[in-house]
Amino acid sequence: MAKEDYVPVACDDWYQRRRKDAEGDFFRSVAEQSPRRGTGTDTKQGIYLLTADGKLLAYKNAGQAPDVMREVLADGLKKWNRLPDELRRPGAVKVPDLDESDGGYTRQLPPGGLIVNVHARALEKAPTGSLADATCKVGDGDEASRDHLWLTAEECRSLLPAGAKAGDTFPLPDAIAWRIARFHLIDNTRGEPAMWTRDQVRKLDVRLTVEQVEGDKAVLRLHGPVLVSTDADATRADRGYDASLLGFIGINRQTGRVERFDVVALGQHWGESRFTQGARPGLTPLGVAFEMAKGDGPGDRVPPQAAREIGAYFRAEK
Amino acid sequence: MAAWAVALSAGTAYAADTVPPAQFDALHRMIKPLPREEKWADIPWMTSLWDARQRAAREGKPILLWEMDGHPLGCV
Repeated sequence: MAKEDYVPVACDDWYQRRRKDAEGDFFRSVAEQSPRRGTGTDTKQGIYLLTADGKLLAYKNAGQAPDVMREVLADGLKKWNRLPDELRRPGAVKVPDLDESDGGYTRQLPPGGLIVNVHARALEKAPTGSLADATCKVGDGDEASRDHLWLTAEECRSLLPAGAKAGDTFPLPDAIAWRIARFHLIDNTRGEPAMWTRDQVRKLDVRLTVEQVEGDKAVLRLHGPVLVSTDADATRADRGYDASLLGFIGINRQTGRVERFDVVALGQHWGESRFTQGARPGLTPLGVAFEMAKGDGPGDRVPPQAAREIGAYFRAEK
Repeated sequence: MAAWAVALSAGTAYAADTVPPAQFDALHRMIKPLPREEKWADIPWMTSLWDARQRAAREGKPILLWEMDGHPLGCV
């Protein structure tokens, strides 16, 4: 039903409800017909079924209840089919091109930049000492999260200093190390996470070692510890993540392009934030995996969650 | 608990130890989404509401808008 009978679109409500352009006006006019009506900046999230000219057919905030959603989709379709033919036929509604987007609420990958998928997963330790996917209730961290790390072309080139040779070790460039620590070593498995402030980064000693140089190809090993916590004394912190990183970055020395970005963070996480309540009690294992995006999926271009504060995102170390 | 657990040496303190190099690939795979967690990706989601409006008008279809705090395709 979602594929054949509807035009499916997914958006971040944080941007949509704030943007001051025709798209924002259109969205707000639809939301005004729903239980989310109101002019404030409160959330307007949910599933909306609507017509191209902005008539709301149905609304429900039940994305994790498939049976309910099937009913809502069917109901929306019934209402759609009851509309006069002259409103439903292809081309009946004219939608002009968008004149201008609100740049304050539009995020674009910098030219030549790199998109890295980032996934966090709650893990648990078996009595045998093995690590495994943690068993959690649906919506309470039972699946891997998803986000993206953005690196600029210049940052990609900065990964491998000129003249570096096998065995050399040097710090991961600050801009990248701080961005990863503050905005990507987070538990977002149950909702929108609080990011780490600069002061909450208590330990950050991530380094790169040149593993291999062959022709145009270089492989770097990324390794080192990170501790982020809400209190300088981690044992008293409400929330924290004490992790170590290991990864492998492949670089084409000729072009400076990153061709592989496989990294794992593994450590103990504890605590929760306003929109990530329901954390497991105490310290529990959390893994974060990084991998280059293929770039061919619609979701690949979705900006990093932390890019809402775009200035801070690209200056995490400042 | 998934059957494909990654064995660590007994008594490993996760934070204090580095990621075991021999387990790197298995851990990387374990953390990433499983196929059953990617079913939503079978739907050809657009990411611009305005583009979706134009397409819906052109094709004579209603719009399904998945609107969340945290992009549904990119966060959480």
